[in-house]
Amino acid sequence: MLRTEEITLNMGPQHPSTHGVFHVVLKMDHEVITEARPICGYLHRGIEKLAEARTYTQFIPYTDRLDYLAAMLNNTGYVQAVEKLMEIEVPERAEYIRVICCELSRIASHLIAVGTYSVDIGGITGFMYCLRDRERIMDLFEMVCGSRLTLSYMRIGGVAEDLPDEFIPALCQFLDEMPSRLDEYDGLITGNEIFQARTKHVGLLDPGVAINYGISGPNLRASGVFWDLRKNRPYSVYDRFDFEVPLGKRGDCFDRFTCRIKEMRQSLKIIRQAVEQLPEGPVMAKVPKVLKPPAGDVYHEIEGAKGILGYYVVSDGSNKPYRIHVRRPSFINLGFLNELCKGWKIADVVAILGSLDIVLGEVDC
Amino acid sequence: MFGQGLLKGLQITLQELFTKKVTVQYPEESLPLAPRFHGEFVLDVEQCIACSLCANACPNKVIEIETAKLDKKRVLTGYMMRLQYCLFCGLCVEACNKGAIRFSQKFEMAKYFRDQIPLILYKGEPPVQEEQGNTGITAGEAEGTEV
Repeated sequence: MLRTEEITLNMGPQHPSTHGVFHVVLKMDHEVITEARPICGYLHRGIEKLAEARTYTQFIPYTDRLDYLAAMLNNTGYVQAVEKLMEIEVPERAEYIRVICCELSRIASHLIAVGTYSVDIGGITGFMYCLRDRERIMDLFEMVCGSRLTLSYMRIGGVAEDLPDEFIPALCQFLDEMPSRLDEYDGLITGNEIFQARTKHVGLLDPGVAINYGISGPNLRASGVFWDLRKNRPYSVYDRFDFEVPLGKRGDCFDRFTCRIKEMRQSLKIIRQAVEQLPEGPVMAKVPKVLKPPAGDVYHEIEGAKGILGYYVVSDGSNKPYRIHVRRPSFINLGFLNELCKGWKIADVVAILGSLDIVLGEVDC
Repeated sequence: MFGQGLLKGLQITLQELFTKKVTVQYPEESLPLAPRFHGEFVLDVEQCIACSLCANACPNKVIEIETAKLDKKRVLTGYMMRLQYCLFCGLCVEACNKGAIRFSQKFEMAKYFRDQIPLILYKGEPPVQEEQGNTGITAGEAEGTEV
C-alpha cells in the first residue's frame, strides 16, 4: 500500500468528543492512525494532595469531583474505605439507601455515556432523550440531599439524612417509566443502521489484553469477561439482590455501548428490590464527632460506573489522612487507547474514545 | 430491510412531538425546588452562639467568624462566607447544633463583580465595653495550625 508522509494532528485539549480537556496526539499515515498518544493532566487539581490537609469527613465533597457524573459511587467508595479502616458497622437502612443512590448514580452516568456516544457518532437526538431522563435522577438526588451533581450524601458511618417522604413515590414512578425509555434509546440509537455501521467490529478489545491492561467495568465486560465486583466480591448488601451481569461477545464499540444500556436495566432491577426490602431504622452509625482511624492502611474497591473504583487510605492515627490514593477506572481504561486506535481511520478514534466512556475529572484527579 | 432502524427512530421522535410540553419559561416562572435544596445561606443570628463549629467543619475555610468577649461570653460580631470557594456541600449546616446556619431556596447568586461575592451574614456593632476594647479574633487565626 502507498505510504504518505506522516502527519501529526492534535485532537484536543479543546475538542467536544474528548468529553473534557483531554489531548490526543495522533500520528497518521494518510487517514490511518499509526500512533495515538494520550496526554492528560489538563484538569489536574491535586485532589489526593488536598486530602492530606483535610479531615476524613471534609474529603467527602472532593470525591464528588472525581467522577462528577456518578458522585454517589465516588462517595460510597471513599466512606466504605474509611469504614473498613475504622471497623464501623453501617446500619441496614443506610446500606440500602446507599445501594439505591449508587444504582441511580450508575444509571445517570450510563445515560451520559449512551447520550454522548450518540452525539459522537453524529446523532444529536439520542443525547436529548438521555439527558431528559437523567434530569429525573438529578431531581431525585435533589430531594435526597439538596444537590444535583456534587452530592456529598454519604457520611462515614451511614448517610447524611434519611430519605424524605416524597422520595419513594417519585422513585417508583421513575422505575415504572424508565424501561420504556430504555426501549426508546434502543430504537433511536442502538437500532440505527448508521450507528451500527460506525461501531460494529470497530476498536476490538481482546479479553486477555483487556485484563492485562487492568481495564474494568463495562469496557471489560463488553469483551466477554465476567468481572463485576458486585457479583464477584459483593460489598455492602449487594449479595442480597438478584441481577445479571450483561456481557458482550466481540468487545467492539457496539458491545461496549449496548453493555451500558443492559446494565441500566439491571440497575433498575436492583433498585426495585432494594426499595421492596428497605428496612426501617437509623441511617447513621454511632461514630465519634472527631474521626481518628487507627494507624494503618486500607484499600477498598467498589464497582464504579466506569469500572473498579478503589480508594487507598493511609492513616497515621491523626484526624487527617496521611495519604489517599484513588484508583480511577477512567484513567486506567485509557491506558490501552494507543493500541486500540492503531490501524483505524481518524473518524474511528472518536468512536473508540467515546465507547471507553472516560470522564476527565476522574482521569486527571 | 436496511433502513428499518432509521424509520423506527423517526417514529419515536414523531411520537415525542405529541407529548406534553415540559419547557418552563424560566425568569417568568420556575419549577418548585426540593425542600433540602442547597441554595444561599441564611443565618439565624439569635440562635448563633459563635462556637465556630461550622467554620471548622468547612473543607475550604469559607466561613470567617468574628467574635468578641462580652461578660466572659463569646458573642458574634461578624459572620462572613467567601462564597467563591464554597462547595455547597452542607457540612457547615450539618455541624451546627443550634440550627442557626441554614440553606435557603435562593439560587440566583450571580454577581457582577468579584468583591460582591463574599456573603456577609452578620456584621454587628462591636459590643460597648470600655475595658476590653477590641478583642475580636477570627476563626481562621484561632485555628492557625491547619494549613
